[in-house]
Amino acid sequence: MLANRFEEQNPGVKVKQSFESSSTLLTQIQQGAPADVFASAAEEEMNTAVKEGLVNGEPEVFVKNREIVMVPKDNPANIRRFRDVAKPDVKLVLAGKDVPAADYALEILDKAKGEYGADFEKDVLSNVVSRESDVRASVNRVVVGDADATFGYASDYTPDIRDRVEIVRIPPDLNIVATYPIAALEDAKSPELAKKWVELVTSEEGQGVLQKWNFEPAA
Amino acid sequence: MKGRDKVGSSIRLPRGSDTLASGLAVASLALLVGFVSLPLLSLVVWTVDKGTWRAMASPVAVDALLLSLRTTAITMAILLLIGTPAAYVLARAEFRGSRVINTLIDIPVVLPPSAAGIALLLAFGRLGLVGQYLNVFGITLSFTTVAVVMAEVFVAAPFYVRQAATGFGAVDRAVEEAAMVDGAGHWRRFFRVTIPLALPALVAGALTAWARALGEFGATIIFAGSFRGVTQTIPLAIFAEFQRDLDAAVALSVLVLGFAFAVILAVRYLTARSTKDRA
Repeated sequence: MLANRFEEQNPGVKVKQSFESSSTLLTQIQQGAPADVFASAAEEEMNTAVKEGLVNGEPEVFVKNREIVMVPKDNPANIRRFRDVAKPDVKLVLAGKDVPAADYALEILDKAKGEYGADFEKDVLSNVVSRESDVRASVNRVVVGDADATFGYASDYTPDIRDRVEIVRIPPDLNIVATYPIAALEDAKSPELAKKWVELVTSEEGQGVLQKWNFEPAA
Repeated sequence: MKGRDKVGSSIRLPRGSDTLASGLAVASLALLVGFVSLPLLSLVVWTVDKGTWRAMASPVAVDALLLSLRTTAITMAILLLIGTPAAYVLARAEFRGSRVINTLIDIPVVLPPSAAGIALLLAFGRLGLVGQYLNVFGITLSFTTVAVVMAEVFVAAPFYVRQAATGFGAVDRAVEEAAMVDGAGHWRRFFRVTIPLALPALVAGALTAWARALGEFGATIIFAGSFRGVTQTIPLAIFAEFQRDLDAAVALSVLVLGFAFAVILAVRYLTARSTKDRA
């Protein structure tokens, strides 16, 4: 959507987007993948990129996101509230190690110990049956009905899956708000266009599009 | 090996006008050898350079290697047990629809493994065509080691069955019939005459199928998921490590390279010996 808009604004330019987990994207950039802009779903990957001199200028936050629990519509494990994910025999799927969505989930579990008791975290983690390559893959495990629950972002509750998936909210005092940074890259082939893309994403128009996808505005 | 002797005797060093043509052929071979060996060499060079040997003994690596070993062994047992008689029927029996069945069996070869994984998921997943009935009996396959084996059998079966059927097809019927005349029963004839005659093809087929099962990635990660010690085979572990620790991913790749190399050498050696014994 934003890509179309960008191509309209810059005739002759073709936007190529590569969607992967932030850690994969970072590895690819480190290995010299040709990219003009890096939008990360976590500060950590961006900080690494900045530290290694891969970024041109200062990264800025372009959107915020919140973790949620997703369950299949028929909810076979009967998960009604957040603490139900610790029930025995829940088939829980998480994104892989170092994938931000999974890291946030672990942080939330750690925080929840205070409220739900010391065993809560252990019980939830013992329910994990698979670590997926990224958060979207773990959401699709719920969509296809094989997993009882997964942690994902509010923005993963996309219109195309709303008839097959239900949201279980995580209590706000336990939840973590993820901030997504974006930055032009040092090796950008067209630094000018890279800057323009960042401007479009952070503009009022760009923010409006992102909100349609359940993201929270940056400011 | 029989095949090797044949090749050895049919290639002659060229003279005169053939020199250019054979020069090109040799250059092509050199190009191919270089293209294959350079990436493999790079794996080893990186590992030596960064001193990441230790990552090969990491729990992730050991669990993945053991799981790959276990699942491919079960896959091969299933393939030999089911695939061998199935291949014999394909080679010998003429029946209506045999052409359709032949094509069907070959489909996993051309189907991208990720598509195979989706297909398996929609068939045997919890809400799948078959899975929903299994689920009624409390049987779930997704996220289990059984699912890994199913994915491996699905993608590897055609490689064994195809070569085994070709091998059986090449066994002279007259020899089999002669054994019958000599009083051998069907079982005895099959194990004492047919199988030994088709052995090189069976071994070659089994080796390709095993290699395919060992490398299985797409169908496994989609159908079985990825969890250490349960469904995370070597290829899945490499992918998971690539997303967080490149050195560990390289170390795992070197590990599986060495492992595959050892198995191929062992099988080559054993087949060479068994054919020599019988000759």
